[in-house]
Amino acid sequence: MKVRGTPYRWLVASLLAVCAAFGTAQEADTSAVLNLATNADPTLNPWAPGAVIESNLINTILFEQLTRYSPEDLTPSPMLATSWRAEDEGMSWVFELREGVVWSDGDPFDAADVAFTFNDVVLNPDLGAQSASQFSSIDRVEVIDDHAVRFVLNEPFSALPYYLASFAGIIPVHVLGEAENPLQVATFNKGTPVTTGPYKVSEFVPGSHVALVPNELYWAGEPKLAGMTFRIIPDLNTQVAEAMAGQLDVVTRLSPQNVAGIESTGALEVLRQSQNLFFFVAPNHDDPRLADVNVRQAMELAIDRQAMIEAILSGYGQVASGPVAPMLGALFNGDVQQYAYDPEAAAALLDEAGWTLGADGVRQKDGQRLSFYMPTGQFGDLVPATLLVQQFWADIGIETDVQVMEWNAYIQDVVLGRNYELTLAWWSMPPTADVAPYFSCSAAETGNNIPNYCNEELDAIMDEGRAALTLEDQIDAYSRMQDLLAVELPYLYLWWPDILTAKSVRLQGFPEITASAAFQHSFDWYVEAQ
Amino acid sequence: MTQYLVRRLAQGLVVLFLVSLLTFFLINLAPGGPSSLVDMSTTVAERNARYALFGLDRPVHERYVSWLASAVQGDLGRSINQGLPVTGLLAQRLGATLALALSALVIAGVLGILLGIVAAMNPNRWPDHVVGTVATLGMSVPNFWLGIVAIILFAVELRWLPASGIASIGRGFDVVDRIRHLILPAGVLAFGLMPNVVRVTRAAVLEVKATDYVRTARSKGLRDVKVLRKHMLRNAFVPVTAMLGLITTVLFSGSVVIESVFGYAGIGRLAIEAANGRDYPVILGVTMLAGTVVVVVNLIVDLLYVVIDPRIRHV
Amino acid sequence: MSEVLITTGTAAPLRRRSRFFARVLRQPLGLIAFTVLVLMVLMVVVGPALLQHSPTRTSPLETLRPPSAEHWLGTDELGRDVLARIAHGGRVSLAVGLFSMLVGLFLGIAIGGSAGYFGGRTEAVLMRVVDTFMAIPAFFLILVIVTSFGNHPVMIVVTVGLGFWAQMARSVHAEFKRFRLADFVEASRALGSKHLRLMLRHILPQVMPQATVLATLGVGWAILTEAGLSYLGLGIQPPLASWGNMLQNAQAYLFRAPILAVWPGLFIALTVLSFNVLGNALRDILDPRG
Repeated sequence: MKVRGTPYRWLVASLLAVCAAFGTAQEADTSAVLNLATNADPTLNPWAPGAVIESNLINTILFEQLTRYSPEDLTPSPMLATSWRAEDEGMSWVFELREGVVWSDGDPFDAADVAFTFNDVVLNPDLGAQSASQFSSIDRVEVIDDHAVRFVLNEPFSALPYYLASFAGIIPVHVLGEAENPLQVATFNKGTPVTTGPYKVSEFVPGSHVALVPNELYWAGEPKLAGMTFRIIPDLNTQVAEAMAGQLDVVTRLSPQNVAGIESTGALEVLRQSQNLFFFVAPNHDDPRLADVNVRQAMELAIDRQAMIEAILSGYGQVASGPVAPMLGALFNGDVQQYAYDPEAAAALLDEAGWTLGADGVRQKDGQRLSFYMPTGQFGDLVPATLLVQQFWADIGIETDVQVMEWNAYIQDVVLGRNYELTLAWWSMPPTADVAPYFSCSAAETGNNIPNYCNEELDAIMDEGRAALTLEDQIDAYSRMQDLLAVELPYLYLWWPDILTAKSVRLQGFPEITASAAFQHSFDWYVEAQ
Repeated sequence: MTQYLVRRLAQGLVVLFLVSLLTFFLINLAPGGPSSLVDMSTTVAERNARYALFGLDRPVHERYVSWLASAVQGDLGRSINQGLPVTGLLAQRLGATLALALSALVIAGVLGILLGIVAAMNPNRWPDHVVGTVATLGMSVPNFWLGIVAIILFAVELRWLPASGIASIGRGFDVVDRIRHLILPAGVLAFGLMPNVVRVTRAAVLEVKATDYVRTARSKGLRDVKVLRKHMLRNAFVPVTAMLGLITTVLFSGSVVIESVFGYAGIGRLAIEAANGRDYPVILGVTMLAGTVVVVVNLIVDLLYVVIDPRIRHV
Repeated sequence: MSEVLITTGTAAPLRRRSRFFARVLRQPLGLIAFTVLVLMVLMVVVGPALLQHSPTRTSPLETLRPPSAEHWLGTDELGRDVLARIAHGGRVSLAVGLFSMLVGLFLGIAIGGSAGYFGGRTEAVLMRVVDTFMAIPAFFLILVIVTSFGNHPVMIVVTVGLGFWAQMARSVHAEFKRFRLADFVEASRALGSKHLRLMLRHILPQVMPQATVLATLGVGWAILTEAGLSYLGLGIQPPLASWGNMLQNAQAYLFRAPILAVWPGLFIALTVLSFNVLGNALRDILDPRG
């Protein structure tokens, strides 16, 4: 996090951005085409199910949202909406829309597009739109006039403007309105979609690349690059090799193992970005052994999380004290119960809880053994992380049967079917402390509360936070929530990883705070003239 | 001959039907489902809605019958994960894979036959041993490993060749550029295929060398090279042609891994993406395409025999 | 499909023993390969017992260590002893290779043999099944089965075997067809021998030399295939080590610790090379015309 703690940098960055905006001709190379990589053919529709990893950054450039993150502190700032306010004690929100915005085909953007995006796509349960469940508090969107809409809620949702900044692009009703399924229009998703962003698609060659050119109708003026090319390169080593050979200007989701290699070229620098994302081990609370908070606390104490961060992330991460990441600033409460690595304390806690070491080296109580089924999926670092956790627990007498599953089967069986006793995964959330979709009783069994944890005290605090309309009230509620989550350990928190992005040293105006913020501000990107 | 052709074509159709049946039931009876229909944050209700949209809630046999009904009309359905017609996806990728496969075949064929002849002309002497060792090595090194080593060496360190892709973007159609992109993947593929060609060529040449007419020719005082050219090569081509038929299958298999390593957008990578993403219609489409190619190539190979060696007759 | 498939040779009637050994001695490379394989088997069978380190014991504070007196080949990305993993992984990789080959051999002989022996309708049906499997490129088939049904080691073995049996069945089929009307078979049949006995006692021995060659090459192919599956993340899964998945783990560290990819790559290449050299030598020994 180069960003935090050095306010000057931001001053400099903003100044540069301002300079760039006024087009200091000798500064920016207006003929520059930026080369980026993605690992598979993207789907150019922010609400189409699946295909998230390969699509979400390119979609962030193409499809603008009502709000976007401020590059300074990630609070929601204007994009397609210019201002917003809560009404009816937080039961509805009014968004004033920007005037003079046109779609890339020349049609004007207005309230009907917003109403269509939510009423007919996101809130239509038959379509199963991507991350629709995050918007379940919205009842409907009403058109007030061409340039104002009202979000009518079925429960308070103070984080709405944050969620609207998180991969919630607006799609055009005049193009998709007549489609049988607006999420499956091939000429749109895999061709040249109609968008409002600063760049638009000029060419989509499946398996090869997607080319973007400036949108000359863009509401803020002409962007400063001649274009961008998203090359489709599935093998991560090949991406790194291409970057080292000077063929890529931006590499997102860089593996920590490749930082040194990338930096050695001198042409690329690596940004340590953050995201409201935490890795965890989910204990299945339906299992009475894991429903005991002492067992959960002992298990957390037994993991040397700092050592794991060194081994797996080459140190690019931070031990997590809860789900809400420090990047949230005032809403983050770091002053909660901590679980520094202490295997003796863990063993003592288990002894106290009645789990004593058996002859086979595994703890037992009343004929039951502390032995758990721990499936994991083939994705990123999940497998190595699981193997390390397995060793730490073995050292204090907890046995785990690790089964590596193919990713789809893992989601179906473990995530949706809850067929596990312990499992290691992560949640990536919008930058808000409202984590109810992952912790509330209503999300247990069938929602995103994978551990099936249910605590009415916690639910009450989270409701308070959702209803709180001032920052002070939110801080108050969410800080109590984080206290409780740290004691209770519904999930065993592991770490907040740094999100590593490599970019060309010549690429400027690139917000460093998070990858999504950077891509939401692609209008400001420019390449320094050599 | 006509009768033979008809019979072979009928057999081919039966085989393709069996391929589709086998593949369809294999993939559909397995747990899990298309990846675009679920991710970490999907809820059960969302999953069920998406399954219903794609008709995946219907019984398997019903789905097979409707797939088959449209397949015989040339419609292989739509990719679930990509939303595009499968035939279009196949058409897009086939050209690239053919270019890769043919380049690899040519490299493997030319080098393999030359080396095979060299080996056979010097049986059990040092050229034979050197060729044998190189060839066996080609069969023994994992090709993805070789591919990555090649990328690091030729693309990153020496910067002679591009690391990935089919062509440089934004350059239009440029033959030299395409060939530069083909060298590494085709070379790595060919290295694995060559040993078969070398071995078969060597054996065939040795066998022919031992036959009467060559001995006669030699006794008549013809020089080695001439004998080789006049008599042996034609005969040696029979087994080599057969080998090429088998190699088609190997190529399809090899391209799966190699196209992934080199980010080469061909059929092999489509297969991996489809298999990993459980994209049922695409898996079926790729398998059917591969099956068709194999059936047709085998037929052509058998017909080639007749052309090359009229002694073989098909009844 | 191709009725004139080149079989890898025709088995001559059984030869006298002394000539067999004479031929063996003329294959020094084959002898070397055989010795290497014996050593390799010794290493994976006895080795793990002699090594003090566990192949699965992780140690996040001792990752990527260079070779030392403690860890002869250093440690991997999770601090596990590389030598121990090579020994244990070799056990798994060799087992996968051998058992897959046995699956392929068994299916190939059973189905190819029956087709060739019985002829007629049985042959037509069985050979269409063989053609079907020949028509699906082996790696596609394996890919589809493994992504669909998971990668339990037994599943991998069966699947890799399935990728290999059809080729075996074709050669065996041709041989059975050739021999089923041979004099010595006819004679035995006239004496009232049953089909199974005829197939196993009289024809099979004639086919064995060629099947042995194919099987030997098949082991190498199976080990390579498991490695390829592992590259795609579909091979033998951790915590179990295999040379294939060691190589896959090493991928992520290719730029930082390339040595991690060297060891398993070396062992795979050496083993497969030995099987291939041995297979070629056997071909020359058992069937000099091939």
